Amino acid sequence: MQRRKPSVEAQRRKEAYFFILPAFIYILLVMGYPMVYNAVLSLKDMNVKNLKSGASVFIGLKNYADLFANETFLLVLKNTFVFTVSCLIFQFIIGFAFALFFRQKFPLSGVIRGMILISYMMPMAVTGLLGKNIFMNDGLINDLLKHLGIIGPEWLTNTTYSLRAVIIMNCWVGIPFNMLLLISGLTSISSDVYESAMIDGANWIQRFCRITLPLMKSSIFAVLMLGFIYTFRAFDLMYIMTKGGPLNSTDVLGTYSYMFSFTQFQFSKGSAVAMVLFGCLFVVGMFYLHLLRKEEE
Amino acid sequence: MELSLPRRKQILYAVIAVLIAIVFLFPIYWLVQLSFKPDMEAFGKVLTYYPHTFTFGPWQENLNDPVFITSLKNSFINAFLTMGITLLLGVPAAYGMGRYKVRGISLFLLTFLVSQMLPASLTLTPLYLIFSNVGLLGNHFASPIAIAASSIPFAIITLRPFFRSVPVTLDEAARLDGCGPVRAFFYVMIPAVKTGIITIVVISFLNGWNDLVYSMTFNVGADMRPLTANIYKFQSAYGTKWNCIMAYGTILVLPVILLFIFMQKYIVGGLTAGAVKE
Repeated sequence: MQRRKPSVEAQRRKEAYFFILPAFIYILLVMGYPMVYNAVLSLKDMNVKNLKSGASVFIGLKNYADLFANETFLLVLKNTFVFTVSCLIFQFIIGFAFALFFRQKFPLSGVIRGMILISYMMPMAVTGLLGKNIFMNDGLINDLLKHLGIIGPEWLTNTTYSLRAVIIMNCWVGIPFNMLLLISGLTSISSDVYESAMIDGANWIQRFCRITLPLMKSSIFAVLMLGFIYTFRAFDLMYIMTKGGPLNSTDVLGTYSYMFSFTQFQFSKGSAVAMVLFGCLFVVGMFYLHLLRKEEE
Repeated sequence: MELSLPRRKQILYAVIAVLIAIVFLFPIYWLVQLSFKPDMEAFGKVLTYYPHTFTFGPWQENLNDPVFITSLKNSFINAFLTMGITLLLGVPAAYGMGRYKVRGISLFLLTFLVSQMLPASLTLTPLYLIFSNVGLLGNHFASPIAIAASSIPFAIITLRPFFRSVPVTLDEAARLDGCGPVRAFFYVMIPAVKTGIITIVVISFLNGWNDLVYSMTFNVGADMRPLTANIYKFQSAYGTKWNCIMAYGTILVLPVILLFIFMQKYIVGGLTAGAVKE
């Protein structure tokens, strides 16, 4: 038996790799390699003219220097952060409220909780179409506002309001996502904790601040972190709803990178914008890991 | 944790929940109702909240258009190919990750976790150039290959706990009966994690169906594009005929709604597991 053991081990290892490696190699080929390629591309000057000849050369950090000297890019960067942070705040607060409400047991709570998720699962392209329709000057939103005696703004043609319209549409998608993850965090809190707090005479505000929030800390971190990652890379919604306009007021890194690569065919510039997008996500990701580790200590 | 409420409060809460649903889902109602309005009403000066005259005209206009039918077919091809690649690679990997303890597992896991979160923008330009070199542009496989790169990690992260929870005795018994690892995987393990597999089937289908950015970038010709990627084409064709545009949108949302009606519990379970695990 003693001698057979290593061969059994080796056999099991072979089996494990047989199942795992195809997916792992696939990811390396379709994600890992393009990622590296993207980084290299961002240091070159590849565009549609030198694509076929392969005459593109390394120009160092020039693409990045150009970007940060470009006012439009700085606006796009600002838009991306304003968009992401606003969405995170609103969808988190409303999503949390929904989670607190819908985790309770009453008739229809499960059914409606599920129905709300449709806005999260439907194609973002259709959400964009819908946004374009309801935020028209004489569309649904302004009609509803009119009934309240408010004259609505020109949402999609006024640069002050266009980003807000996009944020509202995106929150509609993000709220169910936040609700779903927060409900699963809430259900992991044992009801004994609440019962003993109620016996001690704690009111709902005290229960929320002293029990729910502290016990939900890691779920809340996770939701905000994932929310950031998924919101910061937005593309579909803007591309269909406003195409980044008017005057770049709803342009974000995703759409801006796309514009460089696929309407101007300046591939290296598009790659550089994508690298900035990735850099921001990376910093936030590291920050999150740091917080997680601190919490564990 | 479930809080039990007194009967009176339960009814009050149910009423509030219905009101929330009405407000929250109103945009979807808006989409659908517009698709049944005749032209006159759809772009009349007065906004109506339901079709005063009901017509299937906008739906017929879409369904009679050969480009629409091709796009619809392409959407299904996109969705099924994404699903196929995801299942083929994701399910075995989830099994390997869940049932075996070998060196490198944590590296694999980290790779899959990170790759699930990478933005499409990061790989879009390089993949376009790579696909153009290998002649994959305008091939039905191009976008599913890219979409699957994010659904495979999702499948692995979601399915791994399912495989872990299968009792060890089950595959030991299969091994004793003379099943090799591959047979045991197909005949014993897969049936044991059926619920998880259905989740992956549904979500990867939707990933392929909902995709916009890969499908419009890799498919240069309109005849190769799925519905999502052809929205601009139809929008410029329909102009301000919002009823036709919304019929287009409704058809695009329909599979999502149908899947929700019949598969809700799989979708909800999967989304939670895949997003927060580890």
